[in-house]
Amino acid sequence: MASTSTAPIESPTGDPLEPRPLIEGAQTDLSLNQSLLNHVWMGAGKGWWMLFGLALAGLGLLGIGITVTLAKGVGMWGNNIPVGWAYGIINFVWWIGIGHAGTLISAILLLLQQKWRTSINRFAEAMTLFAVMCALLFPLIHTGRPWFAAYWLLPYPSVQGIWPQFKSPLVWDVFAVSTYFTISLLFWFLGLVPDLASLRDSSKSPTKRVIYGLFALGWRGSGRHWAEYRWAYLLLAGLSTPLVLSVHTIVSFDFAVSVLPGWHTTIFPPYFVAGAVFSGFAMVVTWMVPARQFLGLKHVVTMKHLENMNKVILATGMMVAYGYVMEHFIAWYSGNEYEFSVFFRVRQRGPLAPVYWLMVFCNVIVPQIFWFKKARTSLFIMWVAALLVNVGMWCERFVIIVTSLHRDFLPSKWELYTPTWVDWSIYLGTIGLFSTLFLLFLKFVPAVAVTEVKELRHELAHAHGAGHGEAHG
Amino acid sequence: MSHGAGFVPRRFVLGEFADSDAMLSATKQMRLKGHKKLDTHSPYPVHGIEEALGLGRAKIPTIVLCGAILGACLAYSMIYFMNVVDFPINVANRPPHSPPANIPITFELAVLMGGGSAFFGLMALMRLPEPYHPVFEAESFRRASIDTFFVSVEVPSDQNPDTVAADLLGFGSVEVQVIEESER
Repeated sequence: MASTSTAPIESPTGDPLEPRPLIEGAQTDLSLNQSLLNHVWMGAGKGWWMLFGLALAGLGLLGIGITVTLAKGVGMWGNNIPVGWAYGIINFVWWIGIGHAGTLISAILLLLQQKWRTSINRFAEAMTLFAVMCALLFPLIHTGRPWFAAYWLLPYPSVQGIWPQFKSPLVWDVFAVSTYFTISLLFWFLGLVPDLASLRDSSKSPTKRVIYGLFALGWRGSGRHWAEYRWAYLLLAGLSTPLVLSVHTIVSFDFAVSVLPGWHTTIFPPYFVAGAVFSGFAMVVTWMVPARQFLGLKHVVTMKHLENMNKVILATGMMVAYGYVMEHFIAWYSGNEYEFSVFFRVRQRGPLAPVYWLMVFCNVIVPQIFWFKKARTSLFIMWVAALLVNVGMWCERFVIIVTSLHRDFLPSKWELYTPTWVDWSIYLGTIGLFSTLFLLFLKFVPAVAVTEVKELRHELAHAHGAGHGEAHG
Repeated sequence: MSHGAGFVPRRFVLGEFADSDAMLSATKQMRLKGHKKLDTHSPYPVHGIEEALGLGRAKIPTIVLCGAILGACLAYSMIYFMNVVDFPINVANRPPHSPPANIPITFELAVLMGGGSAFFGLMALMRLPEPYHPVFEAESFRRASIDTFFVSVEVPSDQNPDTVAADLLGFGSVEVQVIEESER
């Protein structure tokens, strides 16, 4: 280093560019264990019960929506020709997208050795699982007879001798989403096993000890186990990385492979993946801002984590904006009047134009405030911005799906789409389902990967002690 | 403790260490001294544990590779059989065998079976779930998942555990105890 430079800033990470610590305060393995498991041991507070009640009300709404759909048929939904696809697929894509942040944080950031992922990966992975569960509900119930769905979707030998049409992106979707759910579950559980062992070993009541002990599978922190475990964890991350990219790519194929103006676009796969990560990070911020406060996780989910997530929101928001620009450019450049009409007339000036402009506001303009450090580090601003991004990404799916369909090639077939109360109650109901599962997760499972934070503390302490050379041991 | 006929309890010597470095060096020295069936117990993975225990290459990568290849082959041949051999459907004279359309599911099943073999292969290698293990007999072992490092040695029936305990103490263990498997 040149002698003229100023003295390096002391930081626990040893990185002068990153003065904010990843773990705040002087922590030991024991103190981390206590502080990170505390929210599991302490009783549910008033706030938790209030939120849980609200979530259960949402779940009830879901029950009503599904019951009506199954009893009276899918005609209770607002779908009708020409808008044959609406809330079912909008919400499916919205939820799947939200799930993607979890895999990105846990797998891709692990492979890139981004140490800040450690405090938030468990939280985000749980979000992935619950979001995918909500997403899976829609294709199931839209069949109207979900108990037959397995016969229609999965290849099994039947007397009819008929197989799924493997050239259909909808069949690819079945494989992609079910693989995604299975791998996310295995990855999440594998990471959880050592933490369940810590829960087992620090529990005070024998019942809890037995229950957590069962889920901990008899984990004893054996060095022989760790040697294989680390490989398995890394390989699952390596497999999840292309998987997460493939899932939303395949979801986008549902649209891009068709020949409908507004859907038939080659930019869809990367633009859907970027949008998924964008909305997923927004959802993580939406939940993390209050959760770190109430669960006492501020020392491991520091402002640096939140700021980094906001930077990712800004970056992916810019990618989404680029996607919008390119879509419109190609619609103009193609010279195809139907495509031009969808992008420049129907969406911008049609009857559903408010949704389009809300989408532009939420997804393109709102994230721009994250250029300012003040906005990136203000809890209130980031929370509101993240909520708006969630809204914006829902609007994006609405715009893509409904506006492309409601103006058919023949003007005599034009029809406005309106969702029914059943559509709304199923949609709001899945938010209730998600919140219910998430609140249960926050109550019974450590929200932060305790083992990994301990390992990170150990690494940081070593790196700090040995100078800058040993950051990646 | 009453032992049924034929039950020979396994005996372990469990040495506690203050930190991971002490555990690592003791493990290495114990191994060089000729102790077999050594293991370490730590709340998080410690770098260098493979060398200290003298472990070979991890087996998981091979298992995962085989699982992924198997998944890919299975998927492609399944699609080929169903859409080409068993029930070809002619849609607008498109070829029944169209490789690009088969890639997504081939990839997904490769990931599914690769990931599945990573998880279940790992469980098989670790022999988990195993709710009972003699090391759990030690009350202090509850801290193995929290903040304490242990070295355990399974003592053969013809050997005196005290000599193993003395070795562990000599290599820097803070506290050593001999534990015996209980009959269930």
